[in-house]
Amino acid sequence: MRHPLESISAYLDGELSGGERDDFVAHVGSCGRCARELEEVQAVRSAVRSLPVLELPRGLIPEADAEITPLRRHRGFWVGAAAAVLAIVVAVAALVTPAPAPLTADDLASRFGARVSLDPAFGPAKVVAPRVEQGLSE
Amino acid sequence: MRLLVVVVALTLLPASPALAVELDELLETSGEAAYTAEQTISCSTPDGARDAVVRIVQDGHQLWVTSTADEGTEVFAGAGGWSLRRGDGVISSAAVESLGHNATPVYEVERAGPIIFLDRAAMRYRLDRDGVQRAELIFDLESGALVGSTSFNADGSAYCRRRFVSFTPGAPEQPPAGLAAPTDAQPVDTGLGLPETVAGFQRLDQYRDDSGLRFTYFSDGFFSFAVFEARSEVVLPGGVLARVGDAIYHRVSSPGQVTYVWETESGMMALVGDMPTDLQEAVLTELPPPSDPGFLRRVWRTLFG
Repeated sequence: MRHPLESISAYLDGELSGGERDDFVAHVGSCGRCARELEEVQAVRSAVRSLPVLELPRGLIPEADAEITPLRRHRGFWVGAAAAVLAIVVAVAALVTPAPAPLTADDLASRFGARVSLDPAFGPAKVVAPRVEQGLSE
Repeated sequence: MRLLVVVVALTLLPASPALAVELDELLETSGEAAYTAEQTISCSTPDGARDAVVRIVQDGHQLWVTSTADEGTEVFAGAGGWSLRRGDGVISSAAVESLGHNATPVYEVERAGPIIFLDRAAMRYRLDRDGVQRAELIFDLESGALVGSTSFNADGSAYCRRRFVSFTPGAPEQPPAGLAAPTDAQPVDTGLGLPETVAGFQRLDQYRDDSGLRFTYFSDGFFSFAVFEARSEVVLPGGVLARVGDAIYHRVSSPGQVTYVWETESGMMALVGDMPTDLQEAVLTELPPPSDPGFLRRVWRTLFG
């Protein structure tokens, strides 16, 4: 199977034609590897876009007020440092905070099924085949 | 055992009051009937055909459903309870209470004529919504059991067809096991942010359960769906990416039910429903669309809810 990994960026940028986009979406829908790759690229892009843009306070580096070029060099340093600190804080918080347990399709079906059983038209017309174990493997 | 709550008033247009009463009585009789049956479920979904054969035992307003593909997998449903059992273990269960809200009438009912079904006398009824046939119901006249039903897309094509292929009236010799201890979902009166009407479906109840999962139940009197709002991930094995309008959702189609999952800025959302494909799409376009919340917002939500 050919994995259209090179098309992920074009897809996210909206640069694929209609047919290419449909083929890509259809493939990703049935390919776990490409679906994960798409999610990872989306996450990285979102992370980069979410980084704050910091401005240096005036007078912090006197020479910078007179010359723009050196200021820009320093700005890169401070942005990088702030991003690193932020990343460390987020990473530590994420490590010490347990993520909520994922919900399964059965969790949703149970609540929906319970409520449906109170409906006037409840009965064989609303019966859903129980999902068997075989179909649950990822 | 929970107090049995029975609601018997299919929401029918007053244009045919006599037929509405007749169908209400049939549904009440059907709900109270006791029988054992095998039912085929055949659905034409955008993801392909979804078929199943299930064994149904109904005793009063309670149903036990067993997949013939796996005798060890069983669902119990009734009186606001639902439980999925595999082998000796309960995989998932829930219990809800109704606030007593009923949908405003949207269906027009018409008697479609007698039929012989499984060598027994039966009667067909047609349900129309907005001038479009959406369902056909077949009732066994002697027992009142609902022995067949078909739901339709707006273009007249069949979405799901359910038929009894064997039918034994009477109480089962050995009633199956009942409902396990469920996860209670408490009804809440405050709005959870979803509109009162979505594509002609009316918001009836809203719930919040022990885990913090919130869901809202919508119905048009026959079809229904629930919209879930959660901060945790939703695992959807076998899901495909489905484009509806300009948005992309994860979707799983199963015999008689569809599940959509997507992410919004405020959290994960999911829809579980039994309506035909065109109504699924109409509903989704009126709900909050998928959007990427961004890495930091997602982490914030995970950390602080």
